[in-house]
Amino acid sequence: MKQIKIGLLFKSIRTTMLFSLSTLIIVTLVIFFWISMRYTEKVILDNSINYTSQLIGQVNRDIDTYIHYMENISHLVVNSHDIQEYLFNEKNSPKEKEEYLYGRIRAQFQTVVETREDISNIAVISSNGKYFINDGKERLNKNIQWDDIDWYQQALKGRDSVLTSNHVQNVIQNNYKWVVTLSKSLENPYTGQEEGVFFIDLNYKVIKDLCENNKVGANSYIFIMDERGKMIYHPKQQQIHYGLWNEKIQEILQCEEDFFLTNNKGEGMLYNISISEKTNWRIVGVAHTTELMRYREETWQIYLLTAAILLALTLFVVTLLSGAITNPIKALKDSMKEVEQGNFENIDLEIKERMNLGISLGDMENKNEIGSLLRSFYVMTVKIRELMEQNIFEQRQKRLHELKALQAQINPHFLYNTLDSIIWMAEGNKNKEVVRMTSSLAKLLRQSISNEQEEIPLEQELQYIKEYLTIQKMRYKDKLEFDIQIEPDLGIVPILKLVLQPIVENAIYHGIKYKDGKGFLGIHAYREGEDVAIEIYDNGIGMDGERLNYIFSSEGKTKERGMGINNVQMRLKLNYGDKYGLFFTSTLGEGTLVVIRIPGREEGEVKNEED
Amino acid sequence: MKRTKKLLFCTFLFILSIGMLKVFSFRGDRGQHGYMKIIYIAKVIDEDNDFWTQLLEGAHMAAKEYEVDLEVVAADKEDNYQAQNKLIEWAIAQKPEVILLSPSSYTETIPAAEKIIEAGICLILIDSSMEKQLEKSKVATDNIKAGQLEGEYLKSFIEEDSKIVIIGHVKGTSTAIEREMGLRQALGEDEEKIVDVLFCNSEYEKAEQLMEGMFAKHKEIDLVAGLNEYSAVGAARAVKKAGLSGQVRVVGFDSSLEEIRLLEEGVLEGIVIQKPFKMGYLGVKTGVMAFRGEEVAENIDSGFLLITRDNMYAENIQELIFPFKEE
Repeated sequence: MKQIKIGLLFKSIRTTMLFSLSTLIIVTLVIFFWISMRYTEKVILDNSINYTSQLIGQVNRDIDTYIHYMENISHLVVNSHDIQEYLFNEKNSPKEKEEYLYGRIRAQFQTVVETREDISNIAVISSNGKYFINDGKERLNKNIQWDDIDWYQQALKGRDSVLTSNHVQNVIQNNYKWVVTLSKSLENPYTGQEEGVFFIDLNYKVIKDLCENNKVGANSYIFIMDERGKMIYHPKQQQIHYGLWNEKIQEILQCEEDFFLTNNKGEGMLYNISISEKTNWRIVGVAHTTELMRYREETWQIYLLTAAILLALTLFVVTLLSGAITNPIKALKDSMKEVEQGNFENIDLEIKERMNLGISLGDMENKNEIGSLLRSFYVMTVKIRELMEQNIFEQRQKRLHELKALQAQINPHFLYNTLDSIIWMAEGNKNKEVVRMTSSLAKLLRQSISNEQEEIPLEQELQYIKEYLTIQKMRYKDKLEFDIQIEPDLGIVPILKLVLQPIVENAIYHGIKYKDGKGFLGIHAYREGEDVAIEIYDNGIGMDGERLNYIFSSEGKTKERGMGINNVQMRLKLNYGDKYGLFFTSTLGEGTLVVIRIPGREEGEVKNEED
Repeated sequence: MKRTKKLLFCTFLFILSIGMLKVFSFRGDRGQHGYMKIIYIAKVIDEDNDFWTQLLEGAHMAAKEYEVDLEVVAADKEDNYQAQNKLIEWAIAQKPEVILLSPSSYTETIPAAEKIIEAGICLILIDSSMEKQLEKSKVATDNIKAGQLEGEYLKSFIEEDSKIVIIGHVKGTSTAIEREMGLRQALGEDEEKIVDVLFCNSEYEKAEQLMEGMFAKHKEIDLVAGLNEYSAVGAARAVKKAGLSGQVRVVGFDSSLEEIRLLEEGVLEGIVIQKPFKMGYLGVKTGVMAFRGEEVAENIDSGFLLITRDNMYAENIQELIFPFKEE
């Protein structure tokens, strides 16, 4: 059904084939493309997730290592005898001893601070109010109840180190730096109680570097938040503080896997989360999926190019293939059109030409359905042509036989009449007339029996008519006068035998015979361009249209004696073509003019066979 | 047959060209993305002034985010409107897409600002406004409401015989006018307790001197309202110097390290802080949006809040007082 519909849409089979195949190919390619792209994207995304997970995990481990390192420093400080002595030995410490300890602590702190740029502050504070900050010169912020602060209290209570989120360091006078504080309790060796706190303030140098150096793409970033969702480090920390940037804090806190995907205004975002066991911090990597899919475009292009090439290739092949199939069909169609118009001459040649030149019909048969179709058509046309030729031949034969039969048919009638006339003349002792008539009859008979040739020179035909008219004139006595005129060089022009006689006979029996008074019959042969015209005119009673039609009909042939006018007309047209033949002009009561038109060929073209 | 072939060829070319287009558009995408130029004419560029520093930081941050080529210029002093007007003319000649402006004067900046509009450049105001509204949008603290907040807090200390002094920054600027207006609205009937309104022209020393002068004249003054950072700090210094901390209560405006310290020390009772970072950020963002033809609000309030000694170290408040620095 579909085929028919498409067939209706497009005029030619070829277009139909091209269209349907192209559609099929495009659809196939699109599906293939889509599936490939989906699969590739999935693989790339999975790999990216994997990769970023590993990256974030690494950042997490690095940060843990970093914090661990800081804890080690705090251990060192906490267990330092100098510090314990400095802070807690209140009883009998001489000034020199204190200065000595001061110098030792300062040296120790400075070593730490100077080697590490990421440490903002390093300090010990005792509950009794003694402290040592950085180089020893910095003061506690006296306006702040520092021993009430959360992290201080927390550190004092436990033995483990305490890590804060980021905050402003307000314990130290005029400091107000944004830091992460690692604090640890100090034990008073004299009381065995936790009576002081050591802390290190970490700025964001190391953390920032770790986050910045490990991001996946230019628009990706890594941030760190604590277990409550408070930001510790974010490249857009300020924007977050002012509510100008929102991070998916709740989603991250609730996320049970180590990653999730979101869609932000049509842009996919990948969140990778790694939770630190040491700090409970969440290290989160955020990446635009488009960035992860960097190679997506490239893959897309490669696929597209492949698809385009495949499409072009297929279209090329389809064009060739469809051409191979439809060209012979087209040739067949063209040939059929030729046959339809009656041209058989070029048909075999044409088919052979179009059948890829040089392939013989025998090969064609084995080729394919269309080959055999072509062959059948060829055979058919040849057959038809043969049949037509045979038909023409048979028609010709038929006419010839008819002619011969008619020749045989008229002669006895005419002969009887003439002989009857001769008898009457002989009885009347009209010897001269008898001789003339008998002589004419003899010539007439000789003419009709002797010549097997269908065509004879015009001169001869006119001679025959002259004999005939002589006999008729004698029979009709003074009632008939005739005159034959011929242009000098026309005598040799060939003409079909017995063409004039039926017309003359017709003129006499249907024209002059019924006329009162003298009848006249004139024959005039002359050249008219390439052709030759023979006029036969009489002044008989003439004919109306009905009569004209009658004599041309087949009825006229059978009913009347003599050869039918129709028969003559057929013979002329059959032999010389449609241009030639008989042309009647008649006026009732005045006479009839018949023109016989024949081609003005030269003598050489026809053999004149004499007995 | 020939038509079919043509059709085929065209289809093929079409598909191929789509492919190529895809390739080139993908490659050329970033190149076409020209940087948009924005000039911001601030009142002053003072690295010691936290307000302007943070505002610029916000502006630069937004510029980076929205891929804007941002240039910031300012006169030598906040009240030097002649110099600022010249800068405006210079900026117009640079043919930027957007001009951001913090007008130095409520009235005197208008002629220059009109030229911006005449030049067909999009104008966005930041922080301050002008008597004649020329701008497409204004990003600023709602200064009347901020003044009201300051006034309400001040009112909580008012006693029967209180005497109030207001120290403004620059007479005639919209911020000073609006804050004073809001403050007076909040005070209501107590408005009559205002002894005087003085202007320090945004200089610490002048504010201090003015305050000292006031103490000399009116010993009974017990409440001082500073309308910006310079006036608040100047006044507080004078109070501290006179040893009147706790007796004379000072309520300030804006935030700075010194103000924080004075707040901790108890010289300042409270400060109304603006959000300059947000202001600068939203200023640039609004400029970008307005230029892109997106809908922008006529007035964008960047927000403000009252900080007292008790809440200043609360987690979500310290973020706003102390500009986050990574080192």
